[in-house]
Amino acid sequence: MITQVPHPVLEVHDLTVSYDQHPVLWNVDLSLPAGQLIGILGPNGAGKSTLIKSIMGLIQPTSGYIKIFDKALPEVRSRISYVPQRESVDWNFPASVLDVVVMGTYGKLGLFRRPGKKEVQIAQEALEQVGMTAFANRQISELSGGQQQRVFIARALAQQADLYLMDEPFAGVDMATETAIFQLLQDMARAGKTVLVVHHDIHSAMNFFEWVIMLNLHLVASGPKDQVMTEELLRKTYGGKLNLLTQVTDLIRQQDFNPLKS
Amino acid sequence: MEDFLYFFTFQDPSITWVVLGITLLGIGSAYVGTFSFLDKKALLGDAISHAVLPGICLGFVLAGEKDPRFIVTGAFLSGALATFCSSWLKQNTKLSEDGIIASILSVFFGIGIVVLTAIQKSGNPEVAGLNSFIFGNAIGIAEADLFLYGGLSLAILLVLSLFLKEFRLMVFDPGFGKAIGFPMKGIRFVFNVLLILVVVIGIQAIGVVLMAALLITPGAAARFWTDRLQSLLLLAALFSILSGILGTYVSFVLPQMPTGPWVVVFLSLIALLSFIFSPKSGLIRRFLARRSYLNKTHRDHLMKALFKAKEAKREVLTLDEIHALYPFHKKEISHSLQILVQQGLVLQDAQGIRLSASGTSDAMRIVRLHRLWELYLNESMNIAPDHVHESAEQMEHLLTPELEALLEQRLNYPTLDPHQETIPRESHDA
Repeated sequence: MITQVPHPVLEVHDLTVSYDQHPVLWNVDLSLPAGQLIGILGPNGAGKSTLIKSIMGLIQPTSGYIKIFDKALPEVRSRISYVPQRESVDWNFPASVLDVVVMGTYGKLGLFRRPGKKEVQIAQEALEQVGMTAFANRQISELSGGQQQRVFIARALAQQADLYLMDEPFAGVDMATETAIFQLLQDMARAGKTVLVVHHDIHSAMNFFEWVIMLNLHLVASGPKDQVMTEELLRKTYGGKLNLLTQVTDLIRQQDFNPLKS
Repeated sequence: MEDFLYFFTFQDPSITWVVLGITLLGIGSAYVGTFSFLDKKALLGDAISHAVLPGICLGFVLAGEKDPRFIVTGAFLSGALATFCSSWLKQNTKLSEDGIIASILSVFFGIGIVVLTAIQKSGNPEVAGLNSFIFGNAIGIAEADLFLYGGLSLAILLVLSLFLKEFRLMVFDPGFGKAIGFPMKGIRFVFNVLLILVVVIGIQAIGVVLMAALLITPGAAARFWTDRLQSLLLLAALFSILSGILGTYVSFVLPQMPTGPWVVVFLSLIALLSFIFSPKSGLIRRFLARRSYLNKTHRDHLMKALFKAKEAKREVLTLDEIHALYPFHKKEISHSLQILVQQGLVLQDAQGIRLSASGTSDAMRIVRLHRLWELYLNESMNIAPDHVHESAEQMEHLLTPELEALLEQRLNYPTLDPHQETIPRESHDA
């Protein structure tokens, strides 16, 4: 059940990704419409983060390509905003909340130029949107998990992009914060931004997303929520081991080279 | 004293130059070192500083004398080779990073010592100066060489201030840096070049063996005092300059005394003092916080004993009766009594000890928190009534008024705890 759209914001074409010799995504082929809140669902190790990282150019795909706004990534990088997983950084780093959010403006600033008044202004507006203004001067290690997550989202907002890629922004976030952030993301989608979110919880996915991508090493489904959130597709995504695919993966790992590399 | 005045009044221009040089070096190494400390790559600096030794010896052999240009170039090349080897091995083998760094350090340093011994056996009269590279000798640096070292230090500081934003990103979130299109590999390359350069210009003053201390210790010590990158860098530089100058002074006053070990002694002293006295996480601070908490628990226990007696219709207790309740803390209880009497929470007269009006209210709150927590454990966390007391004994000293309100709300203002004892409240609350 894969719905393709005309004039997509994001087109992933036959993407296969492997770490060293270990394929983690097989032939993902999808296209996404603009102005929607899109969820990426799948069990642990399904390749959800890998898909986001490949779109962001952080991982070199083994084969296939990605087009964003019908262009290659380097041409449109300033229109894309990225929220990495919260655990990917050391929160003991000596920085204030504002310092981190200002990093969102680095991309437009470019190399060697120092952030000035304008950048601080943008960062403060972003903090206001996630309700963290009161914490602007707080040391980041003193924040709770949910607050750290909101700081990362504020940094992404400060990038002032059209396409947002968020890797597990709701991990370790309490229910009230989750709902507040979801509402913020829905507002952004309504304003014409496309927001792509890696997510765990099927229940809240049902409530908030308009479009859903289901992954389990391969693409199970991609389409409007009502059409893809079916019992059969969910079972395909979450239930049962992909015995055959796992065995093929093991076979590839035993080779002395990566046969998938073209 | 005479030496002290002579040194610190800078009458001798050569001393002025040396102090200026070590100041520049101190700032440079503290800045670069603080970044690599935050990046958790402290060991790389140590490996590089050991790995420059073969390059120094090679430079000496090629020049036939102690020419700083040859020595700096040789040291830089061999440091660069070591850095390259470590990142190549990391990418292309499955060896762990600490294993790689340890092997690089020992292999390069081993080769360096072999070559150094060979040169010393050769009978070249210039060779004596080479030994100072092992433990450093700031005073022995010729004035002409200082211009080279000082110039390089200035260049390092310049590049660092230019790359401040980029290095911050490199350490905190390189993945994000790559995502916004910054050439993170190039930025790391520049940083590694700076790291090697700092080591290269530091070895004459500090020595290959101890250079890593000048890189890492200032940042580590400064981290005890601040949570901001800017002030961390400034403080680290200050610590580094201070110990650099003091170390130079000692090696000036005491003949044959190498500079490096003394700089490290002063640096370690600063780090130790920071560890003990830091207002944020220092040893003393933590000790005091714990002691004041323990004192509070003893006071709470005393008030609780009086309140429970009151519940059993006994207004007054003797000191012996209270001691009997806490047989292992008699001294602490007596001390708490003094304080509580001073605070007017407890009254003591010939009949014995009793709670004052305000003391009753405070004591009631402790007992209330205890019983609320017991009920919460029992009702919300399904813990048996005979298992909840221990935890409540700890939480009664900790819970804030906000949490108390939340507990009351969650449990819907209960009247009885799991042991069927009344949860006490002020009468106007009830």
